[in-house]
Amino acid sequence: MTATGVAGRPSGRAGAVMNTSQEVIRRARSGDEEAFRLIFERYSRPIISFIYDMVGRRELAEDLTQETFVRAHRNLGGLRDETKLSTWLFGIAKNVTRESLRSRVREDLKVAIDDDRVRGLSDGGLPPDRELLNRELNGVIRDALQNLDDDKRAVFTLKIFQQRSYEEIAEITGSSIPKLKTDLHRARAEMRRRIEPYLRVNHEV
Amino acid sequence: MKCESWMPLIEQRADGELDERAAWQVDQHLAACRSCAAFLERLRAEQAVYARYERDVEVTPAIWAAVEAKIREEPAQGAVSALARLRQWLSATVGAPRLSPAMAAVLVIIAVGVTLGVISLKNSGPAVPPNGVASNGSESNTPATPPSGPPGVKPPSSNPLDDVTAASKGSGTAGPRGRAGSRASRNPTPAQLVREAEQKYLTAIAILSRDVRHRRSNMDPIVLARFDSALGDIDRVIAETRRAVRQNPGDPIALHYLLAAYSKKVDALREMATD
Repeated sequence: MTATGVAGRPSGRAGAVMNTSQEVIRRARSGDEEAFRLIFERYSRPIISFIYDMVGRRELAEDLTQETFVRAHRNLGGLRDETKLSTWLFGIAKNVTRESLRSRVREDLKVAIDDDRVRGLSDGGLPPDRELLNRELNGVIRDALQNLDDDKRAVFTLKIFQQRSYEEIAEITGSSIPKLKTDLHRARAEMRRRIEPYLRVNHEV
Repeated sequence: MKCESWMPLIEQRADGELDERAAWQVDQHLAACRSCAAFLERLRAEQAVYARYERDVEVTPAIWAAVEAKIREEPAQGAVSALARLRQWLSATVGAPRLSPAMAAVLVIIAVGVTLGVISLKNSGPAVPPNGVASNGSESNTPATPPSGPPGVKPPSSNPLDDVTAASKGSGTAGPRGRAGSRASRNPTPAQLVREAEQKYLTAIAILSRDVRHRRSNMDPIVLARFDSALGDIDRVIAETRRAVRQNPGDPIALHYLLAAYSKKVDALREMATD
């Protein structure tokens, strides 16, 4: 990162003062809004990605991300282990998302895989352009995620996209380790079935 | 034990979640069982595909603004005055995009250069892919016109994204090169070429994002926060230009602004990935 990239913020507080996550949390707890903004800036990206993977809709993901950080701010005093801020935030995001999903008609979220598209790829026709393929694959992954049940989707997203350990996933979701192992294995198998034609074409192209 | 029963263990091995003894047992089985070894390979191929997954969502300043507004409606946790909060917000907003003037300049230069290139392409016939959208201000400021191409448009081989893709994906570059001839024969329109370049940027961004993600835990939190903030600003530009492209899909200037924003994001990510 260049000096331009890291400088430029007006706050006189140098890195020496707010040089650890714990320090940032302590400051945020005491009402320092700039410190809470730093927390937002650091964690909003993985949180919105997780929420988007859970709900599959951009605007809803943005709203739920807002709600996650508002709740985090409200309950920051309840964070006991400051080294687990990230896990704690994901836990809030998981709850916010679950509440939202419960309040909606599940069928709204179920998006059928475009069978023609998948069939076309596995029929051995002309190899599609890789770029077009990537774009389609994004859509297929997004749709396939939405067809997993909530528990499997949460476990799959946290492991595959957020690279969380089983222990962290158990803390975030409240599931036991054996259950999450089973959910993850089944989620992988379901996702594999959906993306398999694309894996094959990707390999061939 | 059947292969099917080994699968969950192989997955846990790939996830790094087995203790030493169990991992050793799985490794022994993998060395002896071709079917399970193939399963592990497929698992790795899937991981590679998931690593390239791009979401249609970004953190925009509007999200923080909404969070901040809601926080303010709640009873204050500390004794931060409204004036102080406003001062913090204003200073952060003004201070954050030190990148912005430079980026704006780069966007303008690149857009003009590439637009001239596209116009030149339309007039002169042979199509040159606009892969050479400059990756930084200094390159795009170069006044010299390459003898074989239009101003501001570098030849395909000098595309910095090729380096990123090649370095990160190894043999992954063989495919696109192999299709170069067929692309030329298809005579793609400038808009198609720009879309292809867009996809290359997205691929590079996904690869670099993954690299940066792996390094995050070792980074200074302040640097990281500033980096995320700068990235947020770039993402905002990307979102705005994407919106412009959606509204005017045939507008080459909108497309090139979008590419320039992607280019900036690649630069920022590469800087953090290699810092």
